[in-house]
Amino acid sequence: MTAVSEAVTSSAMRTREATVRRFALTDTIFRTATRLSAILVLVLLGGVAISLIAGSWEALSKFGFSFLTTESWNPVTENFGALAPIYGTIVTSAIAILIAVPIGIGIAVFLTELCPRPLRRPIGIAVELLAGIPSIIYGIWGLFVFAPFLQTTVQPFIISLFHGIPGLSSLFAGPPYGIGLLTSSLILAIMVLPFITSITKDVFDTVPAVLKESAYGIGCTTWEVTRRVTIPYTRVGIMGGVMLGLGRALGETMAVTFVIGNAHRISTSLFAPGTTISATIANEFTEADGELYTSSLVALGLILFIITFIILALARYMLLRIDSRTGA
Amino acid sequence: MKPMLSTDLNVAETVVEKAKIEVKNLNFYYGQSKALKDINLSLPERSVTAFIGPSGCGKSTLLRVLNRIYELYPKQSAEGQVLLDGKNILDRSQDLNLLRTKIGMVFQKPTPFPMSIYENIAFGVRLYEKISKAEMDSRVESALKRAALWNEVKDKLNASGQSLSGGQQQRLCIARTVAVKPEVILLDEPASALDPLSTAKIEELIDELQADYTIVIVTHNMQQAARVSRQTAFMYLGELVEFDRTEKIFTSPREKRTQDYITGRFG
Repeated sequence: MTAVSEAVTSSAMRTREATVRRFALTDTIFRTATRLSAILVLVLLGGVAISLIAGSWEALSKFGFSFLTTESWNPVTENFGALAPIYGTIVTSAIAILIAVPIGIGIAVFLTELCPRPLRRPIGIAVELLAGIPSIIYGIWGLFVFAPFLQTTVQPFIISLFHGIPGLSSLFAGPPYGIGLLTSSLILAIMVLPFITSITKDVFDTVPAVLKESAYGIGCTTWEVTRRVTIPYTRVGIMGGVMLGLGRALGETMAVTFVIGNAHRISTSLFAPGTTISATIANEFTEADGELYTSSLVALGLILFIITFIILALARYMLLRIDSRTGA
Repeated sequence: MKPMLSTDLNVAETVVEKAKIEVKNLNFYYGQSKALKDINLSLPERSVTAFIGPSGCGKSTLLRVLNRIYELYPKQSAEGQVLLDGKNILDRSQDLNLLRTKIGMVFQKPTPFPMSIYENIAFGVRLYEKISKAEMDSRVESALKRAALWNEVKDKLNASGQSLSGGQQQRLCIARTVAVKPEVILLDEPASALDPLSTAKIEELIDELQADYTIVIVTHNMQQAARVSRQTAFMYLGELVEFDRTEKIFTSPREKRTQDYITGRFG
C-alpha cells in the first residue's frame, strides 16, 4: 500500500522535475537574452565615447587644454580652438530656454487650469505636432522666411531702440543680418517648446486636486494657486522638462546650421553671426582635409557629447526624484 | 430671530437659534444625475452641525456647495438658495474668493502647501491683508495655538509643512483655515485618515472652535458625530431624511430610515 503510493508519488515527482528543468533552460535563455540587450546599450555608449576620444586624440594632444580656450579656427594654418562654437552652443541654447520656459509653462497652465474642455485636446495636439516637424523644415523656413522678416522689421527697430544705451546697445549692435545667434535662439525656442510644454503639463496633472481645492478654499485666485502651490509642488519635474529641452537645443544641428551664419568668432552682439558645435561639424566635415582638422572636429563632438550627457543625467535625476515623491 | 423652516420636513422646532446658513430648496447635479434633492436646512450660528449618512448620500456634495468649491469642475451645478447671513451665495454676483475667505474648508486628507509651516499659515493671510512682520508672527502663533499645534512646531516654523505627521498636518490645515478669520468652517471627514490619538485631538479642537465659529462636519463615524455635534442631519440617496438635535437623532429618531442607519441595519 505505502510502496504503491510512494511509486506513484515519485513518478509524479519525476515528471514535475523534468518540467522544472525545461523551464529552467528557457528561463536561462530568456534571462541571458534580456541581459545581453541591456548590456548592448552600454557597449554602444562606451563605443561612441571611445571612438570620440580616439578620434580627437590628435587634436587634444596637440592643443591640450588651450583647445577649450582658443577662439581662432584656422584651417589654413591648422590652428584650431573650440571656444567660439562652445560659446555659440551655450548662448543659443540658454536664450532658447529663457524664451521657451515661460511660454511653455504658460501653455501648460492654460491647458490644465483655464482652457475650456473642448479646446484642450486640439491645442495639446497642436503643441505636440510642433515636435514632429523635421528640423530641416525649421531650417529652410528660418532662412527664407523668418530671417528676412527679422532683418527688415524687428532688428532695425531694436537696434534703433537700444542705440546709445550702455550694455544693451552692444548686445543688440548692427548691422541687421537677419541670420545670427538670436535668430537661431528663436528657432530653437520654437523647437524645444513642445518638450517643455508636454512635460510641464504632465507634472501639473500630478498635483492632487484636493491640494488645489484647499488653496482655492482659502480664497486664492488661479494665479495664486499656480504660483504658490502648483509650480512649487512640481518644481523638480519642471526642471527635468527644461533640462530635456536644453539637451535637445544643445544638439540641434540642421535648423541652426541654416540660420546661425557660421562665423567662428565671439561677438557681444546677439545679431552677429556665430556658430555652434553641431553646426561647425555639419558644415566642415566634407571639406576637412588634414588629419588635424578632422580630429579637431571630432574633439568638438566629444565636447558636445560630454555637455549633453551631463545635462541629460541631471534631467533624469530630477524626474526620478519627482516620481518617487508622487509615487509615495 | 428668523422663523425656522418646518414644513413637510422633520425639522425640530426646538432648534431655534440665529441661523448662520440657510439652505432653501437646493438641488445639485453632476451633469445629468441629480445628487441633492430639494434640501432645506438651517445651520445655527456658533455650533457644530454633523452630516451623516452612507457613502454617496450627498453629504460631502452638500458641504461642497456651501463654499462653492464644486465650481472648479465643469458640469457640476446647483440650483436653489444658500443664504449666508441672509445673502444668497449661489448668486452669480457673489465673489468666490471673498466667499471662501468667509467659509474655510478642511479636507479628508491633510493638504499642507509645498512651503514652510510658517508660510502655510501666512500665505492665506497675506492674500487679503497687509500686515507687518510682527503682526504676522503673532497671527501665525495664535492660529497654531488655536489648533493646539504651537508647542509641537514652535522650534521648527521654517521646516516644510509636508515634514509633519498626518495628524499634525491636519491640525496645520485647521490652523491655516482659522488664520484667515473665517465665519464658517467646513470639515470634510477631517479625521478619517488619522489614528485614534490624533482624532481625539481634532475632536477636542472642534469642541473649542465652536465658541467662535459655525462648524459643519461631514463624517462616516457616527460616534464622532455624536461626540462633537449639537445638530445632526441624516442624509440618504440625496435627500435630507432627518435633521434634529444630535441626542434626539441618536436616541429617538422619528424616521425609520434614520433608526435603521444608526443601529447599523444598512449603510
